Amino acid sequence: MRVLALITVIITGIILIYGTVDMPDWGDPNSPASKHVSPEYIEKALEATATPNIVTAVLADYRGYDTLGETTVIFTAGISCILILRRRKKRR
Amino acid sequence: MIPQSPVLVVVIPLIFAFLTLLFGWFRRSFCYPITLVALSLSFFASLHTLHIVITTGTIHYYLGSWKPPWGIEYVVDYLNAFVLVIVSFVSLMVAIYSKRSVEQELPEKIVYFYCIFLLQVTGFLGIVITGDLFNLYVFLEIASLAGYALIAVGEDGAPFASFNYVIFGTIGACFYLLGVGYLYIVTGSLNIADLSQILPNLYHSKVVLVAFAFFLVGVSIKMALFPLHVWLPDAYTYAPSTVSALLAPLMTKVGAYVMIRVMFTVFKPYFSIELIPATTILGWMAAAAILFGAILALAQIDLKRMLTYILVSEVGYITLGVALANRNGLTGAILHILNDAFMMLALFLVVGAIMYRSGKREISQLRYLHRKMPFTMAVFVIAALSVIGIPPTCGFFSKWYLILGAIDANKWIFVAVLLVSSLLNVILFFRCIENAYLEPVAEHSSVGSELAITREESPLSMLIPTLIAGAGIMSFGVLSGKIISTIIQFALPAGF
Amino acid sequence: MFNFIVSNYNYWIYIVLMMIGFYAMIGKRNLVKKIIGMNLFQTAIILFFISTAAKKGGTLPIIEHGHGHGAHAIQAAAYINPLPHVLMLTAIVVMVSTLGVALAIVIAIYKRHHTLEENEILWQQK
Repeated sequence: MRVLALITVIITGIILIYGTVDMPDWGDPNSPASKHVSPEYIEKALEATATPNIVTAVLADYRGYDTLGETTVIFTAGISCILILRRRKKRR
Repeated sequence: MIPQSPVLVVVIPLIFAFLTLLFGWFRRSFCYPITLVALSLSFFASLHTLHIVITTGTIHYYLGSWKPPWGIEYVVDYLNAFVLVIVSFVSLMVAIYSKRSVEQELPEKIVYFYCIFLLQVTGFLGIVITGDLFNLYVFLEIASLAGYALIAVGEDGAPFASFNYVIFGTIGACFYLLGVGYLYIVTGSLNIADLSQILPNLYHSKVVLVAFAFFLVGVSIKMALFPLHVWLPDAYTYAPSTVSALLAPLMTKVGAYVMIRVMFTVFKPYFSIELIPATTILGWMAAAAILFGAILALAQIDLKRMLTYILVSEVGYITLGVALANRNGLTGAILHILNDAFMMLALFLVVGAIMYRSGKREISQLRYLHRKMPFTMAVFVIAALSVIGIPPTCGFFSKWYLILGAIDANKWIFVAVLLVSSLLNVILFFRCIENAYLEPVAEHSSVGSELAITREESPLSMLIPTLIAGAGIMSFGVLSGKIISTIIQFALPAGF
Repeated sequence: MFNFIVSNYNYWIYIVLMMIGFYAMIGKRNLVKKIIGMNLFQTAIILFFISTAAKKGGTLPIIEHGHGHGAHAIQAAAYINPLPHVLMLTAIVVMVSTLGVALAIVIAIYKRHHTLEENEILWQQK
């Protein structure tokens, strides 16, 4: 069983490393990720949202719905823990 | 005035989940009506969304009015709206059914149960309707966490089964996230429509290939496609009856929807068919799932466990339709999403009713049930005929399209697999129906007419959803031509 | 060749870390070790994403002297990419929530089986 797990892990690792061959260099300012969507975030965030912290602007404004989902995840986890761990109070 | 119903479908169960908790602390009996109100409103909103899509075409709803790809958008086309209506209707039926069953199995946790129930439905609806890959991941995690909790409060053996599901499900979600990450690194976008335009220039890239592979493996784990299905039988057998009835029809279908979206909308169809042999591999996995599920179901004594293996087999049907990748095959797959949701709903509701009345669910316990619970067993027979694929139930029509698709693609071995599986299903259900309907001769002659089995049908709140599910199976069979011509024909991804 | 290694080594380190966590999730038999592996796997994915946000010569994506002062042009090349950071904030929250629910389930398992080894639990269930 452990051998099977080891083989699976090694194959997954090799596939992942194989995928990084074509990736843009680390820190390249001309990579597609830095050229497509994020320049607009950096340049326009201050005037569109009046927030100097661009990460906050994206998190709470441009992608605020993801933050709502994340809050719901925390809520779900909290209520799930109550659901799983709650014990019947023994009445004397 | 833009229609707000796409977002209302998701937000109403979310808000009502908080309200359930709030009002449930005052009085427990408020939870059930609040849940019903929430899911009915969500169902009407999804019907309204389907109506808008049919009359005016694809809806693009920008959340927060930020244009994509800088903001998140909801894209609702025919496929989306169709699956949305199915998910909200099935969850409404299970919610109506849940009252008696939850009171019997989880008496002290009712408030929290209904809260997590609504959050689970929110997760499913959010996955189906979104047009942004990372938003899909967030709602996938909402649905997964709620699922882990709902399964873990079942009977003996449920926490361990749920832990296995946690490990597998987290691997699946993390592989999906890795796929999103790899795609982001080379394209810079997370929006599905945007990606479908940027990616065709990058199909030669190794990064895109690895991303596709990780998407498929992650979604296959969530969808329980053979051989990654090992978490499903234990998890759905030991879960409470309501939870199995909610998760079994829906989780796998939502996973199949995500697979169709990734394979045919994010990546163009020719990528999966010609550039890499993805459809060939998926075809073999699907055929193995169909046969494996049917054969293992034969070996079970527990009725609910047998149904979970049939579920594994049904996932194989949908994947086979996707893997055939022609018009008839995809029509069969999308029609089977509808049919399988209702078949699994009916079967699991019946098993839950049997469990409620008698506390046991082995196949040998089905004896004399046709006199005790005639309506429930009638629905069981209808669902069994649909799984086998006998007209005019809906199962026949989706299998018919799948066989047509296999013939179109000249893959005769898949035709053989489909026919053999129907035969195996006949043997499978004949055992149960024989136990339920035909009485053993020896007992009958010795006891005679003094054997008075009283009618002990399931309570009305459980009976009505079961009957609606059975009626749905019959009517969708008869109406399948109309469904295909109005909805499914336009739901096929571009290029078919 | 050396250039190739230098430009991609960040990805490789995090992939090795991911695979260590992945092996712990599927190869170990103790339930808590599996949870530790899950945490390691997800943390490595988060690090992987964040490493793609770096930019040569870029600084933190916070615009100094933003309010009030004269509006000088903001150049995208001067700041690092903010989007992966945003996505990973959500992913960290999801990771912690999953850890919480997994540990609650382990408590429920322990109450019932009084052991946390997978083979003993399977033996008890027979």
